[in-house]
Amino acid sequence: MTAAGDTARPPRGSRDEVVLAVRDLGKYFPIREGALQKVVGHIKAVDGVSFDIAPGQTVGLVGESGCGKTTLGRCVAGLSEPTNGGVYFGLETATKERLDSLLSVTERTASQESELEQLDNRHRVDRMNGDAWRRYRRNCQVVFQESFASLNPRQLVKDIVGRPLRVHREASGSQLTERVVELLAQVGLGRQHLYRFPHQFSGGQRQRISIARALALDPELVILDEPTSALDVSVQAQILNLLHELQQERHLAYLFITHDLSVVRHMADRIVVMYVGRVAEAGPTEVIFDRPQHPYTEALLASSPDVDAHTVDLQALEGAIPDPALPPQGCRFHTRCAVATPTCGWEVDDVVRWLEDVEGTFDTLRGVTRMSPFDAWLSFEDEAAAASLAATLRSEAIPQAMRTALEELTVDARRVRVRFTPVDEVQLTVRGSEHVAACVLDRA
Amino acid sequence: MTLVGSDGPAPPALAPAPVASVVDLRVHFRSKAGIVHAVDGVSFDIADGETLGLVGETGCGKSVTARSFLRLVPMPPGIQAGGSILFRPHRTCETCSGNGCAVCHESGRVPDACATCEGAGCETCAGSGYLTVDLLEIPEQDLRTIRGNRIAMIFQDPGKALNPALSIRDQLAEVFYQHRSAELLAAAAIDGEAGGPAGTLIRRKAALRSRLLEDALLSLPPLRARRNKLRAAADDRIVAALAETQIPNPRKVMDRYPHELSGGMRQRVMIAQALACDPDLLIADEPTTALDVTVQARILELVRELQSRHRTSVLYISHDLSLVRRVCDRVAVMYAGRIAEVAPAEQIFSDPSHPYTRGLLAAIPATSHERGRLVAISGTVPELINPTPACRFAGRCPFEAPVCRALEPEPKPTRDGHQVACFIHHPPRDAADGVPTFDRQVR
Repeated sequence: MTAAGDTARPPRGSRDEVVLAVRDLGKYFPIREGALQKVVGHIKAVDGVSFDIAPGQTVGLVGESGCGKTTLGRCVAGLSEPTNGGVYFGLETATKERLDSLLSVTERTASQESELEQLDNRHRVDRMNGDAWRRYRRNCQVVFQESFASLNPRQLVKDIVGRPLRVHREASGSQLTERVVELLAQVGLGRQHLYRFPHQFSGGQRQRISIARALALDPELVILDEPTSALDVSVQAQILNLLHELQQERHLAYLFITHDLSVVRHMADRIVVMYVGRVAEAGPTEVIFDRPQHPYTEALLASSPDVDAHTVDLQALEGAIPDPALPPQGCRFHTRCAVATPTCGWEVDDVVRWLEDVEGTFDTLRGVTRMSPFDAWLSFEDEAAAASLAATLRSEAIPQAMRTALEELTVDARRVRVRFTPVDEVQLTVRGSEHVAACVLDRA
Repeated sequence: MTLVGSDGPAPPALAPAPVASVVDLRVHFRSKAGIVHAVDGVSFDIADGETLGLVGETGCGKSVTARSFLRLVPMPPGIQAGGSILFRPHRTCETCSGNGCAVCHESGRVPDACATCEGAGCETCAGSGYLTVDLLEIPEQDLRTIRGNRIAMIFQDPGKALNPALSIRDQLAEVFYQHRSAELLAAAAIDGEAGGPAGTLIRRKAALRSRLLEDALLSLPPLRARRNKLRAAADDRIVAALAETQIPNPRKVMDRYPHELSGGMRQRVMIAQALACDPDLLIADEPTTALDVTVQARILELVRELQSRHRTSVLYISHDLSLVRRVCDRVAVMYAGRIAEVAPAEQIFSDPSHPYTRGLLAAIPATSHERGRLVAISGTVPELINPTPACRFAGRCPFEAPVCRALEPEPKPTRDGHQVACFIHHPPRDAADGVPTFDRQVR
């Protein structure tokens, strides 16, 4: 490290610092349609996510594909700009508490507003510029899933790993080569690999090169986006051991994005479970695995095969992941939840979700007039279809909880009115020390 | 069809015959650096109605082995360097109509009798009396009657394996037209034997042989009714096949294209396509690798359920040991083009005998492991270019001894149903000084 690098940052591992604080982060992608490419809606890939990463800590981010975990990782890395909220870097504990108290106020006074503005400018990643941005960039590095796609096939290992050092003017010439050799040695490669191209390496070795490149500037935080999912299990074991060793040596913080629960259980101190863009549950690893509070976490755990378990059968999760452009009301998991209650946010779209697979129910649907997500008129081609829908809605074909939540079901000739009890979005509630879950049930 | 005999000793008459036996299979590839021995002397049996798991790391030859069953390995650059894959078609037992009786050993299915000797035992079937086909030898036309009909395959990525330009209906109709055209004609109440140009046209349509002009003729009023009847008959079968894989509302799904379906649904369509003709053997090449864990669990459940209902034998290829434990009866572990160990699934996990299997199991992160203390297998998979006769695992094996570098171990039985290719279990007679044991660890 050069002198400039050392003074730019407080000493490693100080207790009163969080490496990263994510606050109410949202990333929406517009859906455009028509010749004029008018925005007709948004895909809410990430919607109101908050968590902290402490120095030397590993936070695991898990969820199904399409739940927004990679988008979140990209926002944290500063590769895409968040729509809402922000990623805060280099906050001390006192500043973080001040920030949290400012953010929790709904109607801020002018002085509070300006204080928040100041904090934002200094610490929010997407507002940073100049030196602050450079400092963030060198302290936050990414290792991608596809090591082949993330290494330039036309560059030598020496150039790939030396690139960050060159960009940040840390070394040049023979000194650069020596630094690269040092880095390669740390990830288990040697001087003989300096003048080779990425295609001359195996998958595991390429992932080691990616790790060496990420470590070149001695960062505080490394974002690992599925670093081992393209690797064989014996190679995965080598990489996981290496990552752990490096973390011990350099006191790194990891944001470990993965869908493999056995890996995350092995590596993470804290786990954040995401579902359709929101946090379903977050807490210390042992608590999440031993006493999950959210039915989605339970379902994820039950569906992943564990080589240790002998008797427990796999339990599959019904239904498909909802469309993030039209996320379900209330609790987003209620459409697939095995223990859903009437207050979980049943809505008009659920009628379609449950019944579109029943033959002949929606073939004659003509239109929907919505008063709110919970209240709508469905009009059909003929009276028989309307009557049959009403009959199905009263029958066993739909879950008991949904029938209870159904406040009004009126048939008016060819139209059916469906009205459910309106419910607010389910918020995260505290379930234990550092353990939060977004579920209406409290099963502690 | 060419009929060949199996090399092994003749089984007693009416003993349950394995549905397929791979005997000393060798598939090599030509490359600039030399000949790559991708599969080098692999032998195993798949018993009727069982699920055999084939596991190993990337590049160990498991997919090449599976593709050899249907001759899907491109040649060149591939070279068929020897061995055979013997396939014995089965049918439902007539005595009990599939319920299980003494004749079929309670399995409900019996192997087809040999065409030459009608079950008496002759040279072509090595005295077994069963119809035996060498999949590597038979002519291409005969193989086409087996592919997708008697042996079906599901692939890793359903997004790539389904034709994006065809609707799900056309995708599945192909299978029925190709292999069940006589049944379709019968179901549509069309006289399959009728002479004249009209009969020929509809027959060609049902066998998927019609050309553009013939299709145009069939869409004209005098023939249209018959064509529509044929289509309706095919549609009924497609709906039934889709419904069997628990696809909701199959009549609606039928008209969609692959990109309109989710990954799990696409995999279901592929399974429906594979099981459409009720095959004897289903080859599943990493069917859930591209799917989420939650979807994977459902697909596994589905494969298991359909397998037990149809009594289909399954060759299940995977790199994930924890998955294989859930679905397979027996497991074969491959390493660098050779079989390292074959054993009943429970034994592989409770008592792994080959050092490589032990290493693989230890590398899976489990609750018992302290962080950073995963037992990785040191080194990398060897290059398979012109290998020397030595144990392929020598160099990475923690129990290596001098004999491992000098001789090549063959898979030999150790105990009930367990086969291991390792000198720890079968020390060669003339190398007493350098024999490996589990007690002596060299690295």
